[in-house]
Amino acid sequence: DRAQGGPTAHIHSGILQVRARDFDDPPGLMEKTEYLLREWISIHYSATAGRDPTRAFSIFVQQMNGHGILKTDDLITRFFRLSTQMCVDLCYRFLAETPNTPTLVRTKCFHTLDAFVRLIALLVKHSGDASNTNTKINLLNKVLGIVAGVLLQDHDNRLAEFQQLPYHRIFIMLFLELNAPEAVLEAINYQVLTAFCHTLHILRPAKAPGFAYAWLELVSHRVFIGRMLSVTPQQKGWGMYAQLLIDLFKFLAPFLRNAELAKPVTLLYKGTLRVLLVLLHDFPEFLCDYHYGFCDVIPPNCIQMRNVILSAFPRNMRLPDPFTPNLKVDMLPEIAHAPRLLTNFASMIQPVSFKKDLDSYLKARAPVTFLSELRSNLQVSNEPGMCYNIPLMNALVLYVGTQAITFIRNKGLTPNMSTIAHSSHMDIFQNLAVDLDTEGRYLFLNAIANQLRYPNSHTHYFSCTLLYLFAEANTEAIQEQITRVLLERLIVNRPHPWGLLITFIELIKNPTYKFWNHEFVHCAPEIEKLFESVARSCMVQKQV
Amino acid sequence: GVAPLGPVPLQKEHQCQFQMMEAAYYHMPHPSDSERLRTYLPRNPVPTPLYYHQVPLPHSDTVEFFQRLSTETLFFIFYYMEGTKAQYLAAKALKKQSWRFHTKFMMWFQRHEEPKIINEEFEQGTYIYFDYEKWGQRKKEGFTFEYKYLEDRDLN
Repeated sequence: DRAQGGPTAHIHSGILQVRARDFDDPPGLMEKTEYLLREWISIHYSATAGRDPTRAFSIFVQQMNGHGILKTDDLITRFFRLSTQMCVDLCYRFLAETPNTPTLVRTKCFHTLDAFVRLIALLVKHSGDASNTNTKINLLNKVLGIVAGVLLQDHDNRLAEFQQLPYHRIFIMLFLELNAPEAVLEAINYQVLTAFCHTLHILRPAKAPGFAYAWLELVSHRVFIGRMLSVTPQQKGWGMYAQLLIDLFKFLAPFLRNAELAKPVTLLYKGTLRVLLVLLHDFPEFLCDYHYGFCDVIPPNCIQMRNVILSAFPRNMRLPDPFTPNLKVDMLPEIAHAPRLLTNFASMIQPVSFKKDLDSYLKARAPVTFLSELRSNLQVSNEPGMCYNIPLMNALVLYVGTQAITFIRNKGLTPNMSTIAHSSHMDIFQNLAVDLDTEGRYLFLNAIANQLRYPNSHTHYFSCTLLYLFAEANTEAIQEQITRVLLERLIVNRPHPWGLLITFIELIKNPTYKFWNHEFVHCAPEIEKLFESVARSCMVQKQV
Repeated sequence: GVAPLGPVPLQKEHQCQFQMMEAAYYHMPHPSDSERLRTYLPRNPVPTPLYYHQVPLPHSDTVEFFQRLSTETLFFIFYYMEGTKAQYLAAKALKKQSWRFHTKFMMWFQRHEEPKIINEEFEQGTYIYFDYEKWGQRKKEGFTFEYKYLEDRDLN
């Protein structure tokens, strides 16, 4: 974040200016700012401004000039800092007036905030020459930094008394103003989006939890989503938007993993799910491309949330109905194509020495000590529930799988139940299945199940792998756990990923797996009933 | 169970985060916070019984739907929902029904009969117009509609 130069440098300098304890404003600047702000509000709402906003603005700029505010960058930013603080203070005063109705309070707050936002937008638009985009963007970043700085300071000082309203209003209205259909603004649109994304990342829920709800409203605003994922060409906004979602998932993770959902968490979770459903419906390719990074930070028990992400598939694709009798997955042309992944998972295999050992084992299928040391490489602590490095596990599984696909292809073959067997890759998977304890194996199998999505080469490879591990398991515990991981993703409400259904149907339908002979299927009457009902829905013409 | 990895006590950092989020829960953002100010019809959410319509009719945001509304409804939307898509659709529907907006009087006019005079600059005759102060339709005889006050932008 704090890289020198670039847009964030201006945001951070704005934040630092607010947070510095020792800023001495020149004498009289506070009074001047207050006077000018009042002047602007009255000019902004005057009848003449309605007819000729440009003239109203130029009159005001003359006044600012007259007071020497526009002389230096330093004075301009001080003016913005003081103005932001004044607007915020005013909102707190309105919100504290008890006999008011909520509507009236808001009307009063918005009156001031909207005028201030218009002033920022006009100053950004008119700073520098018409063609000088740098000046405009630098000023915008500085102002966003100042508002973020005032927010963080306010958040830390007022704690439970903190109000999201003024900041929420400033950010969303400024965003809408700067996305108006005007040539000057369209020329800087991408930098405007970048500036807002950086600011929202700085203000992520983990840093400003009191702002979390407003933050989610901003991130999920229809104009924001539209600009980030649809309007901006070449998907240049996708990476930044994915980062914001990861910020949200990371914040929710510790609360969700314990499944003790207090009301405030439930509400934010519901909002998150709604955003994901909108994305699944309108931008499925976005969820496809970033599924790996998202699944890395979503706790394993958030089954539905992950299913929503894993169910996404490219809109031009037609998925064959998984319940079709005698569906031949091997014959689908799509399973030859690798899905696009925009997370560099190979680089997440750390330390470098481990990655080196892994690569040499994949090549030489030796030494055997690599396998016996695998478990300790994945283990990070002895505390139950936190024993393993989950991102490393996920990266390892996907990396080994993709290497296996390449390896099989290089031999002129295609992945299937026999070509995936007896290789260094399968050694690793089988070793993990056998050698890990219940917790580790659960995470390992989840890492595999996260790849069971729409028809593509990964889905097919990992579907075969999971079935192979089931068939070759030396204990029933492994088979029970494979069944558990698949079943728990299917008994939740829709959507269900295509590859997941395909794999489970194959498991219970194909007699080679002797699924119905296993004890865990019959361990309890309710489990047995559950399997039967799933089987009924899976098998149209059940032959048992 | 729902927490397959077992519960892990929240760290102090997460407890603090929860407290701030809980405080924010009691002053949640309002739908109006991210909308332009509605001067006349501010949002006022209240619980309504489930047997009442909770959402408007489907396709009620199309010109076709607006054309089925009474002119009075369209005038109401035009004057009380400024700067919204509804205002735009109302204006469009009114134009389709041969109402014309007078930018000086800020009122809508409709020919009551063929104008007595028509030339380059104006037309003159009897008109029906909607008076937003008296809130009703009136008739004006011998009115001169100067074309420079005619709002004739193409509403696309």
